Amino acid sequence: MRLVALSASFVLLAAASAFAQAARLSGQAPRAGSWEIGGGVVYIQGFDMGDQSADLTRPGNDTLELFTTSSELKSVVGFQGRLGFYFSPQLSVEGGVRYAKPKLSIRITGDFENAPNETAEETLSQYLFDGSVLWHFGQSATGGGVVPFVMGGAGYLRELHDAQELVETGVEYHAGAGVKIWFGSGGQRFGIRAEGGISVRDGGFDFEDKTRYTPVAAGSLIYLF
Amino acid sequence: MRPWARLLTACALVILAAAPVIGYLKLGSRLGSQTVTLRWRNFPVRYFVTDRGVDGVTAQQFQTAVTRAIGTWHAVETATTSSQFVGFTQAQPGGDDDMTVIGYQSRPAQNRTLAATSFFIDTTDGRILESDIFFNTVFPWSTSESGTTGRFDVESIAVHELGHLLGLSHSALGETELISGGRRVLAAESVMFPIAFAAGNIDDRSLKADDIAGISDIYGTPAFTRGFGSISGRVTKNGQGVIGAHIVAFNPATGRMVGGFSLSEDGSFVIAGLEPGPHVLRAEPLDDGDIESFFDDSLDVDLDFNVKFYERAVVVPRGGGTRNVEIRVTPK
Repeated sequence: MRLVALSASFVLLAAASAFAQAARLSGQAPRAGSWEIGGGVVYIQGFDMGDQSADLTRPGNDTLELFTTSSELKSVVGFQGRLGFYFSPQLSVEGGVRYAKPKLSIRITGDFENAPNETAEETLSQYLFDGSVLWHFGQSATGGGVVPFVMGGAGYLRELHDAQELVETGVEYHAGAGVKIWFGSGGQRFGIRAEGGISVRDGGFDFEDKTRYTPVAAGSLIYLF
Repeated sequence: MRPWARLLTACALVILAAAPVIGYLKLGSRLGSQTVTLRWRNFPVRYFVTDRGVDGVTAQQFQTAVTRAIGTWHAVETATTSSQFVGFTQAQPGGDDDMTVIGYQSRPAQNRTLAATSFFIDTTDGRILESDIFFNTVFPWSTSESGTTGRFDVESIAVHELGHLLGLSHSALGETELISGGRRVLAAESVMFPIAFAAGNIDDRSLKADDIAGISDIYGTPAFTRGFGSISGRVTKNGQGVIGAHIVAFNPATGRMVGGFSLSEDGSFVIAGLEPGPHVLRAEPLDDGDIESFFDDSLDVDLDFNVKFYERAVVVPRGGGTRNVEIRVTPK
Protein backbone atom coordinates (compact mmCIF):
# COMPACT_ATOMS: atom_id res chain seq x y z
CA MET A 1 0.00 0.00 0.00
CA ARG A 2 1.50 3.31 -1.07
CA LEU A 3 0.35 5.29 1.96
CA VAL A 4 1.80 2.74 4.30
CA ALA A 5 5.08 2.61 2.42
CA LEU A 6 5.37 6.37 2.56
CA SER A 7 4.60 6.48 6.25
CA ALA A 8 7.14 3.79 6.99
CA SER A 9 9.77 5.57 4.91
CA PHE A 10 9.12 8.77 6.77
CA VAL A 11 9.62 7.10 10.10
CA LEU A 12 12.81 5.41 8.98
CA LEU A 13 14.28 8.56 7.45
CA ALA A 14 13.42 10.58 10.50
CA ALA A 15 14.92 7.91 12.69
CA ALA A 16 18.15 7.74 10.67
CA SER A 17 18.57 11.49 10.66
CA ALA A 18 17.82 11.79 14.32
CA PHE A 19 20.08 8.90 15.15
CA ALA A 20 23.14 10.83 13.92
CA GLN A 21 22.18 13.85 15.96
CA ALA A 22 21.07 11.98 19.01
CA ALA A 23 24.20 9.91 19.08
CA ARG A 24 26.07 13.11 19.93
CA LEU A 25 23.64 13.89 22.69
CA SER A 26 23.92 12.06 25.89
CA GLY A 27 21.33 13.34 28.25
CA GLN A 28 19.79 12.63 31.57
CA ALA A 29 17.86 9.38 31.65
CA PRO A 30 14.17 9.50 32.49
CA ARG A 31 13.99 9.08 36.23
CA ALA A 32 11.42 7.43 38.40
CA GLY A 33 8.42 9.67 38.28
CA SER A 34 9.02 10.97 34.74
CA TRP A 35 6.13 11.04 32.32
CA GLU A 36 6.15 10.51 28.61
CA ILE A 37 3.40 11.57 26.24
CA GLY A 38 3.27 10.85 22.56
CA GLY A 39 1.15 10.61 19.47
CA GLY A 40 1.57 9.42 15.93
CA VAL A 41 0.51 7.08 13.22
CA VAL A 42 0.11 3.34 13.32
CA TYR A 43 -0.08 0.83 10.52
CA ILE A 44 -2.26 -2.21 11.16
CA GLN A 45 -2.07 -5.06 8.71
CA GLY A 46 -5.38 -6.48 7.56
CA PHE A 47 -6.40 -10.09 7.39
CA ASP A 48 -8.33 -12.42 5.18
CA MET A 49 -11.73 -13.44 6.52
CA GLY A 50 -12.32 -16.38 4.25
CA ASP A 51 -14.62 -17.41 1.46
CA GLN A 52 -18.28 -18.25 1.67
CA SER A 53 -20.64 -19.55 -0.96
CA ALA A 54 -24.34 -18.82 -1.26
CA ASP A 55 -25.51 -22.40 -1.65
CA LEU A 56 -28.90 -23.61 -2.72
CA THR A 57 -29.78 -27.19 -1.89
CA ARG A 58 -29.85 -29.55 -4.85
CA PRO A 59 -31.42 -32.97 -4.69
CA GLY A 60 -29.02 -35.68 -3.57
CA ASN A 61 -26.87 -33.91 -0.98
CA ASP A 62 -25.54 -31.55 -3.62
CA THR A 63 -25.49 -27.78 -3.78
CA LEU A 64 -25.84 -25.12 -6.42
CA GLU A 65 -23.56 -22.14 -5.87
CA LEU A 66 -25.58 -18.98 -6.43
CA PHE A 67 -22.44 -16.88 -5.95
CA THR A 68 -19.37 -16.78 -3.72
CA THR A 69 -17.80 -14.14 -1.52
CA SER A 70 -14.21 -13.53 -0.41
CA SER A 71 -13.91 -11.20 2.54
CA GLU A 72 -11.00 -9.22 3.87
CA LEU A 73 -10.41 -6.58 6.49
CA LYS A 74 -8.02 -4.25 4.71
CA SER A 75 -4.77 -2.89 6.10
CA VAL A 76 -5.11 0.60 7.46
CA VAL A 77 -3.14 3.52 8.85
CA GLY A 78 -4.60 4.97 12.01
CA PHE A 79 -3.62 7.23 14.86
CA GLN A 80 -2.51 6.60 18.39
CA GLY A 81 -1.83 8.56 21.54
CA ARG A 82 0.04 7.26 24.60
CA LEU A 83 0.85 8.40 28.11
CA GLY A 84 3.65 6.66 30.03
CA PHE A 85 5.04 6.74 33.52
CA TYR A 86 8.57 5.73 34.49
CA PHE A 87 9.15 3.64 37.60
CA SER A 88 12.87 3.62 36.86
CA PRO A 89 15.07 4.58 33.91
CA GLN A 90 14.45 1.11 32.53
CA LEU A 91 10.85 0.37 33.46
CA SER A 92 7.78 2.27 32.46
CA VAL A 93 4.09 1.60 31.98
CA GLU A 94 1.82 3.35 29.59
CA GLY A 95 -1.74 3.53 28.48
CA GLY A 96 -2.89 4.39 25.04
CA VAL A 97 -5.73 4.73 22.62
CA ARG A 98 -5.63 3.80 18.97
CA TYR A 99 -8.12 4.81 16.31
CA ALA A 100 -8.38 3.51 12.77
CA LYS A 101 -11.01 3.10 10.07
CA PRO A 102 -10.32 -0.21 8.32
CA LYS A 103 -12.43 -1.23 5.37
CA LEU A 104 -14.30 -4.50 5.14
CA SER A 105 -14.14 -5.64 1.54
CA ILE A 106 -16.39 -8.43 0.25
CA ARG A 107 -15.59 -9.58 -3.26
CA ILE A 108 -18.63 -11.20 -4.91
CA THR A 109 -18.00 -13.44 -7.90
CA GLY A 110 -19.36 -16.36 -9.90
CA ASP A 111 -23.02 -15.44 -10.01
CA PHE A 112 -25.16 -18.28 -11.33
CA GLU A 113 -27.18 -15.81 -13.40
CA ASN A 114 -24.16 -13.85 -14.59
CA ALA A 115 -24.55 -10.76 -12.45
CA PRO A 116 -21.41 -8.62 -12.78
CA ASN A 117 -18.80 -9.20 -10.09
CA GLU A 118 -18.95 -6.61 -7.33
CA THR A 119 -16.93 -5.55 -4.33
CA ALA A 120 -19.16 -4.52 -1.46
CA GLU A 121 -17.40 -2.44 1.14
CA GLU A 122 -18.07 -1.06 4.56
CA THR A 123 -15.92 1.07 6.85
CA LEU A 124 -15.48 0.28 10.51
CA SER A 125 -14.44 2.60 13.30
CA GLN A 126 -11.89 0.72 15.36
CA TYR A 127 -10.81 1.79 18.83
CA LEU A 128 -8.18 0.10 20.97
CA PHE A 129 -7.68 1.08 24.60
CA ASP A 130 -4.57 -0.63 25.88
CA GLY A 131 -1.96 -0.78 28.55
CA SER A 132 1.70 -1.79 28.16
CA VAL A 133 4.82 -2.42 30.14
CA LEU A 134 8.09 -1.23 28.57
CA TRP A 135 11.67 -2.18 29.36
CA HIS A 136 14.35 0.17 28.09
CA PHE A 137 17.90 -0.94 27.33
CA GLY A 138 21.13 0.93 27.57
CA GLN A 139 19.54 3.69 29.57
CA SER A 140 22.18 4.33 32.16
CA ALA A 141 22.05 6.90 34.87
CA THR A 142 23.50 9.41 32.47
CA GLY A 143 20.87 8.63 29.94
CA GLY A 144 21.25 7.98 26.26
CA GLY A 145 20.02 9.51 23.07
CA VAL A 146 19.06 6.25 21.43
CA VAL A 147 17.06 3.91 23.58
CA PRO A 148 15.87 0.54 22.37
CA PHE A 149 12.99 -1.00 24.23
CA VAL A 150 10.70 -4.01 24.29
CA MET A 151 7.11 -3.91 25.28
CA GLY A 152 4.06 -6.05 25.88
CA GLY A 153 0.52 -5.50 26.99
CA ALA A 154 -3.17 -5.97 26.45
CA GLY A 155 -6.15 -3.93 25.47
CA TYR A 156 -9.85 -3.67 24.88
CA LEU A 157 -10.93 -3.61 21.24
CA ARG A 158 -14.13 -1.86 20.24
CA GLU A 159 -15.33 -1.78 16.65
CA LEU A 160 -18.35 0.03 15.31
CA HIS A 161 -19.91 -0.62 11.97
CA ASP A 162 -20.82 2.07 9.45
CA ALA A 163 -23.91 3.58 11.02
CA GLN A 164 -22.49 2.90 14.48
CA GLU A 165 -25.56 0.84 15.31
CA LEU A 166 -23.65 -2.39 15.78
CA VAL A 167 -20.73 -2.69 18.15
CA GLU A 168 -18.36 -5.64 18.38
CA THR A 169 -15.78 -5.95 21.11
CA GLY A 170 -12.78 -8.11 21.88
CA VAL A 171 -9.48 -8.28 23.65
CA GLU A 172 -6.09 -7.53 22.19
CA TYR A 173 -2.61 -8.61 23.28
CA HIS A 174 0.54 -7.19 21.84
CA ALA A 175 4.27 -7.55 22.00
CA GLY A 176 6.94 -5.66 20.18
CA ALA A 177 10.16 -3.75 20.16
CA GLY A 178 11.27 -0.32 19.11
CA VAL A 179 13.56 2.57 19.65
CA LYS A 180 13.21 6.01 21.16
CA ILE A 181 15.46 8.77 19.99
CA TRP A 182 15.66 11.74 22.31
CA PHE A 183 16.60 15.24 21.25
CA GLY A 184 18.31 17.20 23.98
CA SER A 185 19.42 16.16 27.39
CA GLY A 186 17.17 17.79 29.92
CA GLY A 187 14.43 16.38 32.03
CA GLN A 188 11.98 17.78 29.53
CA ARG A 189 12.66 16.97 25.91
CA PHE A 190 11.20 15.83 22.65
CA GLY A 191 11.95 12.66 20.82
CA ILE A 192 10.63 10.26 18.29
CA ARG A 193 9.66 6.69 18.72
CA ALA A 194 9.43 3.88 16.19
CA GLU A 195 8.18 0.42 17.00
CA GLY A 196 6.89 -2.74 15.47
CA GLY A 197 5.30 -5.88 16.74
CA ILE A 198 2.49 -8.34 16.69
CA SER A 199 -1.04 -7.60 17.75
CA VAL A 200 -3.12 -10.61 18.71
CA ARG A 201 -6.84 -9.99 18.63
CA ASP A 202 -9.51 -12.26 19.99
CA GLY A 203 -13.02 -11.09 19.28
CA GLY A 204 -14.03 -7.88 17.62
CA PHE A 205 -15.38 -7.99 14.12
CA ASP A 206 -14.53 -11.18 12.30
CA PHE A 207 -16.53 -13.50 10.06
CA GLU A 208 -14.58 -16.52 11.23
CA ASP A 209 -14.20 -15.88 14.97
CA LYS A 210 -10.53 -16.76 14.85
CA THR A 211 -7.65 -15.42 16.90
CA ARG A 212 -5.82 -13.08 14.55
CA TYR A 213 -2.11 -12.28 14.59
CA THR A 214 -1.50 -9.03 12.76
CA PRO A 215 1.74 -7.10 12.36
CA VAL A 216 1.62 -3.48 13.47
CA ALA A 217 4.12 -0.66 13.13
CA ALA A 218 4.00 2.82 14.55
CA GLY A 219 5.89 6.08 14.58
CA SER A 220 5.27 8.80 17.15
CA LEU A 221 6.47 12.13 18.35
CA ILE A 222 7.12 11.90 22.09
CA TYR A 223 7.75 14.35 24.90
CA LEU A 224 9.36 13.59 28.25
CA PHE A 225 8.54 15.63 31.32
CA MET B 1 -73.47 -11.25 9.04
CA ARG B 2 -70.55 -13.54 9.64
CA PRO B 3 -67.34 -11.66 10.43
CA TRP B 4 -65.26 -13.95 8.28
CA ALA B 5 -65.18 -15.20 4.75
CA ARG B 6 -63.29 -17.76 2.70
CA LEU B 7 -60.16 -16.05 1.57
CA LEU B 8 -57.77 -18.02 -0.58
CA THR B 9 -55.81 -21.13 -1.23
CA ALA B 10 -52.07 -21.41 -0.84
CA CYS B 11 -51.38 -21.55 -4.55
CA ALA B 12 -53.13 -18.25 -5.23
CA LEU B 13 -51.77 -16.07 -2.53
CA VAL B 14 -52.41 -12.54 -1.49
CA ILE B 15 -49.38 -10.61 -0.39
CA LEU B 16 -48.80 -7.67 1.88
CA ALA B 17 -48.22 -4.80 -0.46
CA ALA B 18 -49.36 -1.62 1.21
CA ALA B 19 -46.96 -0.60 3.95
CA PRO B 20 -43.69 -2.49 3.60
CA VAL B 21 -43.18 -3.12 7.26
CA ILE B 22 -42.14 -6.68 6.73
CA GLY B 23 -39.63 -8.31 4.46
CA TYR B 24 -40.59 -11.89 4.33
CA LEU B 25 -43.48 -12.81 2.08
CA LYS B 26 -46.29 -13.50 4.46
CA LEU B 27 -49.89 -14.20 3.72
CA GLY B 28 -52.02 -11.12 3.99
CA SER B 29 -55.39 -9.73 3.23
CA ARG B 30 -56.49 -6.29 2.16
CA LEU B 31 -59.04 -4.72 4.44
CA GLY B 32 -60.06 -1.54 2.63
CA SER B 33 -56.87 0.45 2.37
CA GLN B 34 -55.23 -1.60 5.11
CA THR B 35 -53.35 -4.85 4.78
CA VAL B 36 -53.23 -7.30 7.61
CA THR B 37 -51.02 -10.29 8.19
CA LEU B 38 -52.76 -13.62 8.36
CA ARG B 39 -51.82 -15.29 11.60
CA TRP B 40 -53.13 -17.49 14.33
CA ARG B 41 -53.92 -15.60 17.50
CA ASN B 42 -54.71 -18.60 19.63
CA PHE B 43 -52.40 -21.54 20.20
CA PRO B 44 -52.31 -24.48 20.12
CA VAL B 45 -53.67 -24.87 16.62
CA ARG B 46 -56.09 -27.79 16.98
CA TYR B 47 -56.10 -29.97 13.89
CA PHE B 48 -57.80 -33.14 12.67
CA VAL B 49 -56.48 -35.69 10.19
CA THR B 50 -58.77 -37.50 7.79
CA ASP B 51 -59.15 -41.17 8.46
CA ARG B 52 -58.30 -41.98 4.88
CA GLY B 53 -55.14 -43.67 3.71
CA VAL B 54 -53.82 -44.19 0.21
CA ASP B 55 -51.71 -46.79 -1.50
CA GLY B 56 -48.53 -47.10 0.57
CA VAL B 57 -49.60 -44.75 3.36
CA THR B 58 -52.11 -45.53 6.08
CA ALA B 59 -54.05 -42.81 7.86
CA GLN B 60 -51.93 -43.45 10.95
CA GLN B 61 -48.67 -43.12 9.00
CA PHE B 62 -49.97 -39.97 7.38
CA GLN B 63 -50.87 -38.46 10.76
CA THR B 64 -47.46 -39.34 12.20
CA ALA B 65 -45.70 -37.64 9.28
CA VAL B 66 -47.89 -34.55 9.59
CA THR B 67 -47.24 -34.34 13.32
CA ARG B 68 -43.49 -34.55 12.71
CA ALA B 69 -43.77 -31.85 10.05
CA ILE B 70 -45.61 -29.37 12.25
CA GLY B 71 -43.19 -30.19 15.04
CA THR B 72 -40.43 -28.97 12.74
CA TRP B 73 -42.04 -25.51 12.72
CA HIS B 74 -42.67 -25.58 16.47
CA ALA B 75 -38.98 -26.35 17.04
CA VAL B 76 -37.91 -22.96 15.70
CA GLU B 77 -36.39 -21.36 18.77
CA THR B 78 -37.05 -17.80 17.70
CA ALA B 79 -40.78 -18.31 17.15
CA THR B 80 -43.62 -19.36 19.40
CA THR B 81 -46.14 -21.74 17.84
CA SER B 82 -47.84 -24.90 19.00
CA SER B 83 -50.45 -27.35 17.85
CA GLN B 84 -52.52 -30.24 19.04
CA PHE B 85 -53.67 -33.28 17.09
CA VAL B 86 -57.32 -33.69 18.08
CA GLY B 87 -58.10 -36.93 16.30
CA PHE B 88 -59.10 -38.63 13.07
CA THR B 89 -62.15 -37.39 11.24
CA GLN B 90 -64.32 -38.16 8.28
CA ALA B 91 -64.62 -34.46 7.55
CA GLN B 92 -62.95 -33.32 4.36
CA PRO B 93 -60.32 -30.61 3.92
CA GLY B 94 -61.84 -27.45 2.50
CA GLY B 95 -65.12 -27.77 4.35
CA ASP B 96 -66.71 -24.84 6.11
CA ASP B 97 -66.94 -26.66 9.43
CA ASP B 98 -64.84 -24.77 12.01
CA MET B 99 -62.34 -27.63 11.92
CA THR B 100 -58.76 -27.52 10.72
CA VAL B 101 -58.53 -30.69 8.67
CA ILE B 102 -55.49 -32.20 6.98
CA GLY B 103 -55.87 -35.17 4.71
CA TYR B 104 -56.07 -36.79 1.32
CA GLN B 105 -58.48 -35.78 -1.37
CA SER B 106 -58.78 -36.77 -4.98
CA ARG B 107 -58.44 -33.70 -7.18
CA PRO B 108 -57.68 -35.06 -10.66
CA ALA B 109 -58.41 -31.68 -12.23
CA GLN B 110 -55.48 -30.25 -10.29
CA ASN B 111 -52.98 -32.66 -11.72
CA ARG B 112 -50.01 -30.37 -11.09
CA THR B 113 -50.89 -29.56 -7.52
CA LEU B 114 -49.43 -31.91 -4.94
CA ALA B 115 -51.16 -30.23 -2.02
CA ALA B 116 -52.75 -26.92 -1.11
CA THR B 117 -53.85 -24.97 1.91
CA SER B 118 -57.02 -22.94 2.35
CA PHE B 119 -58.16 -20.59 5.09
CA PHE B 120 -61.07 -19.01 6.81
CA ILE B 121 -60.09 -15.73 8.39
CA ASP B 122 -61.62 -13.01 10.47
CA THR B 123 -61.73 -10.19 7.95
CA THR B 124 -61.49 -7.54 10.65
CA ASP B 125 -58.02 -8.42 11.85
CA GLY B 126 -56.58 -11.21 9.68
CA ARG B 127 -56.87 -13.80 12.41
CA ILE B 128 -56.90 -17.33 11.01
CA LEU B 129 -59.98 -19.20 12.22
CA GLU B 130 -59.61 -22.40 10.27
CA SER B 131 -57.16 -23.78 7.75
CA ASP B 132 -57.35 -26.99 5.77
CA ILE B 133 -54.73 -28.85 3.78
CA PHE B 134 -55.42 -31.43 1.11
CA PHE B 135 -52.89 -33.85 -0.31
CA ASN B 136 -53.80 -34.86 -3.84
CA THR B 137 -54.32 -38.62 -4.24
CA VAL B 138 -53.53 -38.24 -7.93
CA PHE B 139 -49.88 -38.58 -6.89
CA PRO B 140 -48.10 -41.52 -5.24
CA TRP B 141 -47.10 -40.90 -1.60
CA SER B 142 -44.67 -42.30 0.90
CA THR B 143 -43.81 -41.91 4.57
CA SER B 144 -40.65 -43.99 4.37
CA GLU B 145 -37.88 -42.70 6.60
CA SER B 146 -35.43 -42.30 3.73
CA GLY B 147 -37.96 -41.56 1.01
CA THR B 148 -39.18 -43.83 -1.75
CA THR B 149 -38.16 -43.43 -5.35
CA GLY B 150 -41.11 -42.35 -7.45
CA ARG B 151 -43.25 -41.34 -4.46
CA PHE B 152 -43.65 -37.92 -2.89
CA ASP B 153 -42.65 -37.63 0.73
CA VAL B 154 -45.63 -36.74 2.92
CA GLU B 155 -43.48 -35.10 5.59
CA SER B 156 -41.61 -32.83 3.15
CA ILE B 157 -44.78 -31.64 1.46
CA ALA B 158 -46.47 -31.27 4.84
CA VAL B 159 -43.68 -29.02 6.10
CA HIS B 160 -44.33 -26.75 3.11
CA GLU B 161 -48.11 -26.72 3.50
CA LEU B 162 -47.94 -26.26 7.25
CA GLY B 163 -45.79 -23.20 6.58
CA HIS B 164 -48.77 -21.85 4.68
CA LEU B 165 -51.12 -22.92 7.44
CA LEU B 166 -49.06 -20.85 9.88
CA GLY B 167 -49.19 -17.79 7.60
CA LEU B 168 -46.22 -17.97 5.27
CA SER B 169 -46.45 -17.48 1.55
CA HIS B 170 -43.98 -18.70 -1.06
CA SER B 171 -40.29 -17.96 -1.13
CA ALA B 172 -38.37 -17.32 -4.33
CA LEU B 173 -35.05 -18.68 -3.04
CA GLY B 174 -34.49 -21.22 -5.76
CA GLU B 175 -33.45 -21.80 -9.32
CA THR B 176 -35.51 -23.58 -11.96
CA GLU B 177 -35.29 -24.54 -15.58
CA LEU B 178 -38.02 -24.70 -18.16
CA ILE B 179 -38.91 -28.15 -19.38
CA SER B 180 -41.75 -29.33 -21.53
CA GLY B 181 -44.92 -28.93 -19.56
CA GLY B 182 -43.57 -26.67 -16.86
CA ARG B 183 -40.61 -25.87 -14.68
CA ARG B 184 -38.19 -28.17 -12.91
CA VAL B 185 -36.53 -27.04 -9.73
CA LEU B 186 -32.74 -27.20 -9.90
CA ALA B 187 -32.10 -26.10 -6.35
CA ALA B 188 -33.84 -24.24 -3.55
CA GLU B 189 -32.94 -22.87 -0.15
CA SER B 190 -36.38 -22.66 1.39
CA VAL B 191 -39.04 -25.26 2.00
CA MET B 192 -41.50 -22.55 0.97
CA PHE B 193 -40.23 -22.52 -2.62
CA PRO B 194 -43.38 -23.11 -4.71
CA ILE B 195 -42.06 -25.98 -6.79
CA ALA B 196 -41.35 -29.28 -5.07
CA PHE B 197 -38.27 -31.40 -5.58
CA ALA B 198 -38.78 -34.59 -7.55
CA ALA B 199 -40.58 -37.57 -6.08
CA GLY B 200 -38.46 -39.50 -3.60
CA ASN B 201 -36.65 -36.42 -2.29
CA ILE B 202 -36.81 -35.64 1.44
CA ASP B 203 -34.70 -32.46 1.59
CA ASP B 204 -37.69 -30.31 2.49
CA ARG B 205 -38.14 -31.99 5.85
CA SER B 206 -35.67 -29.44 7.25
CA LEU B 207 -36.23 -25.71 7.47
CA LYS B 208 -33.75 -23.27 5.99
CA ALA B 209 -32.71 -19.83 7.22
CA ASP B 210 -35.32 -18.20 4.98
CA ASP B 211 -38.14 -20.27 6.52
CA ILE B 212 -36.95 -19.63 10.05
CA ALA B 213 -36.76 -15.89 9.42
CA GLY B 214 -40.27 -15.95 7.98
CA ILE B 215 -41.97 -17.82 10.80
CA SER B 216 -40.04 -15.78 13.38
CA ASP B 217 -41.18 -12.60 11.69
CA ILE B 218 -44.79 -13.59 12.36
CA TYR B 219 -44.52 -15.30 15.74
CA GLY B 220 -41.15 -14.04 16.96
CA THR B 221 -40.06 -14.41 20.56
CA PRO B 222 -38.81 -11.38 22.51
CA ALA B 223 -35.30 -12.73 22.00
CA PHE B 224 -35.87 -12.67 18.24
CA THR B 225 -37.05 -9.07 18.36
CA ARG B 226 -34.02 -8.07 20.41
CA GLY B 227 -31.45 -10.18 18.64
CA PHE B 228 -32.24 -9.90 14.94
CA GLY B 229 -32.64 -6.99 12.56
CA SER B 230 -33.82 -5.91 9.14
CA ILE B 231 -32.77 -4.14 5.98
CA SER B 232 -35.14 -1.87 4.11
CA GLY B 233 -34.85 0.20 1.01
CA ARG B 234 -35.89 0.42 -2.62
CA VAL B 235 -35.14 -1.27 -5.90
CA THR B 236 -35.15 1.30 -8.70
CA LYS B 237 -34.68 1.31 -12.44
CA ASN B 238 -34.10 4.61 -14.23
CA GLY B 239 -35.24 6.35 -11.08
CA GLN B 240 -38.56 4.49 -10.87
CA GLY B 241 -39.51 1.83 -8.38
CA VAL B 242 -39.35 -1.80 -9.47
CA ILE B 243 -42.28 -3.94 -8.41
CA GLY B 244 -41.79 -7.61 -7.66
CA ALA B 245 -38.00 -7.69 -7.50
CA HIS B 246 -36.64 -10.54 -5.41
CA ILE B 247 -33.94 -9.36 -3.02
CA VAL B 248 -31.69 -11.78 -1.17
CA ALA B 249 -29.73 -10.80 1.91
CA PHE B 250 -26.66 -13.03 2.28
CA ASN B 251 -24.59 -13.21 5.42
CA PRO B 252 -20.94 -13.80 4.40
CA ALA B 253 -20.13 -14.97 7.93
CA THR B 254 -22.66 -17.80 8.06
CA GLY B 255 -23.70 -18.37 4.46
CA ARG B 256 -27.36 -17.92 5.40
CA MET B 257 -29.77 -16.33 2.96
CA VAL B 258 -33.11 -14.66 3.55
CA GLY B 259 -35.24 -13.33 0.73
CA GLY B 260 -37.77 -10.57 0.35
CA PHE B 261 -39.67 -8.72 -2.35
CA SER B 262 -40.24 -5.16 -3.44
CA LEU B 263 -43.98 -4.94 -3.14
CA SER B 264 -45.04 -1.39 -3.86
CA GLU B 265 -44.82 1.05 -6.73
CA ASP B 266 -41.86 2.86 -5.29
CA GLY B 267 -39.92 -0.42 -5.17
CA SER B 268 -39.82 -0.58 -1.37
CA PHE B 269 -38.69 -3.73 0.32
CA VAL B 270 -37.95 -4.93 3.82
CA ILE B 271 -36.10 -8.10 4.72
CA ALA B 272 -36.59 -9.05 8.35
CA GLY B 273 -35.20 -11.77 10.57
CA LEU B 274 -31.55 -11.13 9.71
CA GLU B 275 -28.60 -11.90 11.91
CA PRO B 276 -26.65 -8.82 13.05
CA GLY B 277 -23.63 -8.00 10.92
CA PRO B 278 -22.71 -7.15 7.34
CA HIS B 279 -24.81 -8.58 4.52
CA VAL B 280 -24.53 -8.72 0.75
CA LEU B 281 -27.69 -7.79 -1.17
CA ARG B 282 -28.64 -9.28 -4.53
CA ALA B 283 -31.66 -8.16 -6.58
CA GLU B 284 -33.08 -10.33 -9.33
CA PRO B 285 -36.22 -10.50 -11.44
CA LEU B 286 -38.78 -13.05 -10.33
CA ASP B 287 -38.18 -15.41 -13.22
CA ASP B 288 -37.87 -18.76 -11.47
CA GLY B 289 -41.52 -19.50 -11.04
CA ASP B 290 -44.98 -18.45 -12.12
CA ILE B 291 -45.70 -14.95 -10.87
CA GLU B 292 -49.06 -16.20 -9.64
CA SER B 293 -47.18 -18.49 -7.27
CA PHE B 294 -46.09 -15.44 -5.32
CA PHE B 295 -48.49 -12.55 -5.87
CA ASP B 296 -52.04 -11.91 -6.89
CA ASP B 297 -52.54 -10.67 -10.41
CA SER B 298 -53.06 -7.07 -9.31
CA LEU B 299 -49.33 -6.61 -8.98
CA ASP B 300 -47.61 -5.47 -12.17
CA VAL B 301 -44.37 -7.36 -11.68
CA ASP B 302 -41.33 -6.05 -13.57
CA LEU B 303 -39.11 -8.77 -15.00
CA ASP B 304 -37.09 -6.52 -17.29
CA PHE B 305 -33.90 -5.93 -15.38
CA ASN B 306 -30.53 -7.53 -14.84
CA VAL B 307 -29.42 -9.29 -11.70
CA LYS B 308 -27.46 -6.85 -9.55
CA PHE B 309 -25.43 -6.89 -6.36
CA TYR B 310 -25.65 -3.83 -4.15
CA GLU B 311 -22.31 -2.05 -4.13
CA ARG B 312 -22.07 -1.71 -0.37
CA ALA B 313 -22.07 -4.20 2.45
CA VAL B 314 -25.17 -3.48 4.53
CA VAL B 315 -24.83 -3.84 8.28
CA VAL B 316 -27.81 -5.20 10.17
CA PRO B 317 -28.05 -3.84 13.71
CA ARG B 318 -29.15 -6.02 16.59
CA GLY B 319 -32.84 -5.40 17.28
CA GLY B 320 -33.15 -2.65 14.70
CA GLY B 321 -33.12 -1.89 11.02
CA THR B 322 -30.89 -0.38 8.37
CA ARG B 323 -32.89 1.84 6.07
CA ASN B 324 -32.62 3.76 2.82
CA VAL B 325 -30.71 1.19 0.81
CA GLU B 326 -31.25 1.83 -2.89
CA ILE B 327 -30.40 -0.90 -5.36
CA ARG B 328 -30.27 0.58 -8.85
CA VAL B 329 -30.87 -2.05 -11.50
CA THR B 330 -30.58 -1.67 -15.25
CA PRO B 331 -32.98 -2.81 -17.98
CA LYS B 332 -32.08 -5.95 -19.88
